[in-house]
Amino acid sequence: MVGVNHRTAPLEVRERFAHASHEVPGALTRVLSAGAAGGVLLSTCNRTEFYLTEPRDSVSDAVWELLGERIDGDRAVQHYGYTERDQDAVRHLYRVSAGLDSMVLGESQIQGQVREAWEISRGQAGPVLHRLFQSALLVGARVRHETELGKGAASVPSAAVSVASKIFGDLTGRRALILGAGDMAELAATCLVSEGARVTLVANRTYDRARAIAERLDARALTLDEAWPHFADTDIALCSTSAPHAVVTWERVAGAIQSRRGRPLCILDLAVPRDVDPAVGQLENVFLYDVDDLQAVAGQAAALRRGEIPAAENIVSDEVERFWTWYGGLAVVPALKAFREQLDDVRAAELDRAMRHFKHLQPEDREQLEQFSRLLLNKFLHHPTVALKQAAERGRAYALLDALRELFGLESRDGT
Amino acid sequence: MLFVLHLAALALYGLSAALALAPFSGVTVSRRWTLGVATLGAVLHGVGVTELTLVGLGPALSMLAWCLMLLQIGSDLLLRTGTVALFTAPLAGGLVGLALLLGLAPGAEPSAGRNLWFILHVTLSVLGLALLALAFISAALYLWQFRELKAKRFGQVFQLFPPLERLDRLNHVALVAGFPALTIGVLLAIGYAVRYAGGMHVDPAQVVWGTFTWGVLGWTVWVRVVRRWAGRRAAFASIAGFTAVVLVYMALKLAQPGTERFL
Repeated sequence: MVGVNHRTAPLEVRERFAHASHEVPGALTRVLSAGAAGGVLLSTCNRTEFYLTEPRDSVSDAVWELLGERIDGDRAVQHYGYTERDQDAVRHLYRVSAGLDSMVLGESQIQGQVREAWEISRGQAGPVLHRLFQSALLVGARVRHETELGKGAASVPSAAVSVASKIFGDLTGRRALILGAGDMAELAATCLVSEGARVTLVANRTYDRARAIAERLDARALTLDEAWPHFADTDIALCSTSAPHAVVTWERVAGAIQSRRGRPLCILDLAVPRDVDPAVGQLENVFLYDVDDLQAVAGQAAALRRGEIPAAENIVSDEVERFWTWYGGLAVVPALKAFREQLDDVRAAELDRAMRHFKHLQPEDREQLEQFSRLLLNKFLHHPTVALKQAAERGRAYALLDALRELFGLESRDGT
Repeated sequence: MLFVLHLAALALYGLSAALALAPFSGVTVSRRWTLGVATLGAVLHGVGVTELTLVGLGPALSMLAWCLMLLQIGSDLLLRTGTVALFTAPLAGGLVGLALLLGLAPGAEPSAGRNLWFILHVTLSVLGLALLALAFISAALYLWQFRELKAKRFGQVFQLFPPLERLDRLNHVALVAGFPALTIGVLLAIGYAVRYAGGMHVDPAQVVWGTFTWGVLGWTVWVRVVRRWAGRRAAFASIAGFTAVVLVYMALKLAQPGTERFL
């Protein structure tokens, strides 16, 4: 596996490396032509990873060359990346699928992205990667089912949704008002929309910027001054302006809020410095939360999730061993066949040479000798064959296979 | 058999209360288990209730406990407000225990227990009381969760209690259904007394305080339905209504002790 992720590369590099779905087959074709039997490309906003089977050394160079074409600058593209082999590569994918390698620990979106990557690359993956990605999805599901790694809201936008859900229950159809046109407001609004809330109004100091976001969210654009009366009929107000002082003050919204007849209003203030005067939170049925509060919610969930890491890692280790056993068994069969054929060739050649010195022997004696040589070879091969099969069952055949290839000069898997 | 069924129900209600408490000590319990235990208890208790003659304090308390458990299960299934079990399950268990201590045999007029008017009167009155108790519990949970959300405390109450609006809805439904049920139950009692018991034999204090309690309950429903109170104010109103019911009942019971009649 060759790739980059959020730990090794900054966002401006990662976004260049990200491949859209339609780019994946072409990228894989190019990498596979450098010498690999199968490949899957997992590309998200946080990672771009090539999973390859039976790769030649030149394949990683092909990957770096491909990614290098997407960025400018002097720094060698390899410095942003990492390479994992064999069991470490399997473990890496399982950890990714389980959310253990995500920026927000335990997030579940990655599982859908792993599935999508597998489906897009299906034609180029080959049997080993098919099995690997199928099992990775099962590992992700098992970790989420058997541990609490995915519980709670571990990011500020998801904490905003979690707090709003504790007030309203189901967010379907709830009306949301966005104040400000920052990235954070848009991100949190997207999270609310994904839970069924309806962004009806976007207000900003500059009308044009409000209109740009409103169009994306299918909402109506307003200026800030037009927004205050709408505190009477909105359920969630999401504030994220870049104003240097509080813009949502008691004087501006108290009248509208008091006409709500006791219906709760959730105000999520994501701005720093804060957009909402803390006095607004004192109004009856107003629930006001700022970034610190939401970070506290996210921090609690993150702490809970961190406590689940050992249990999740145990599941990953179990599954890596299970996969490696299967894969080991797959590799032993052709190696044993090659080993036996090679020794049988030696036996036949040496027998032939010996027979030239024993021309006086009767055909039935020759037959006896031939039989003897076969039995002797079988006796010699019996123990190594059994030992290799047993090692494969324990997932430890690779060291023995390498030794076998080295000692007997067998052809290695990549044909060298 | 009646005693054994009640004893089994008592044990299962106790277990249901323990399962409701378990998440607060960090133990995760499947919803299937909490619902299963409560349902098994209610089924066994239900078999026992069908064998009861509904006259006297013990049988009425047993019936009240059964209605409470049915409402607990119903609200969990329909509104996912399983946390009400924190209060309904121990309350139902306590009522069954008290019923067992007082005795499950019928009170002064066992023949009344076979009269349809009387059965309907007891059933609707007890169901009404159970619904008002549920309204009280959901209001208390609402105010608790409200306080935590206002104070920005994101602890176990925030995590494990149902959302505010769901508790408010449960309170609304329980109050709006409970008041008419109790009213019809009382009217059926008057009808039964006039038709089958040779007229009303009621203490004037019961009439005065009963009317006062009915008035308080009527006000809580009126502000909720007509004045469209919701949230915190409505929760306080429904707590006031149920508190009036309990205080008046206890005062009347202290003035006229005995277990032959519920009141």
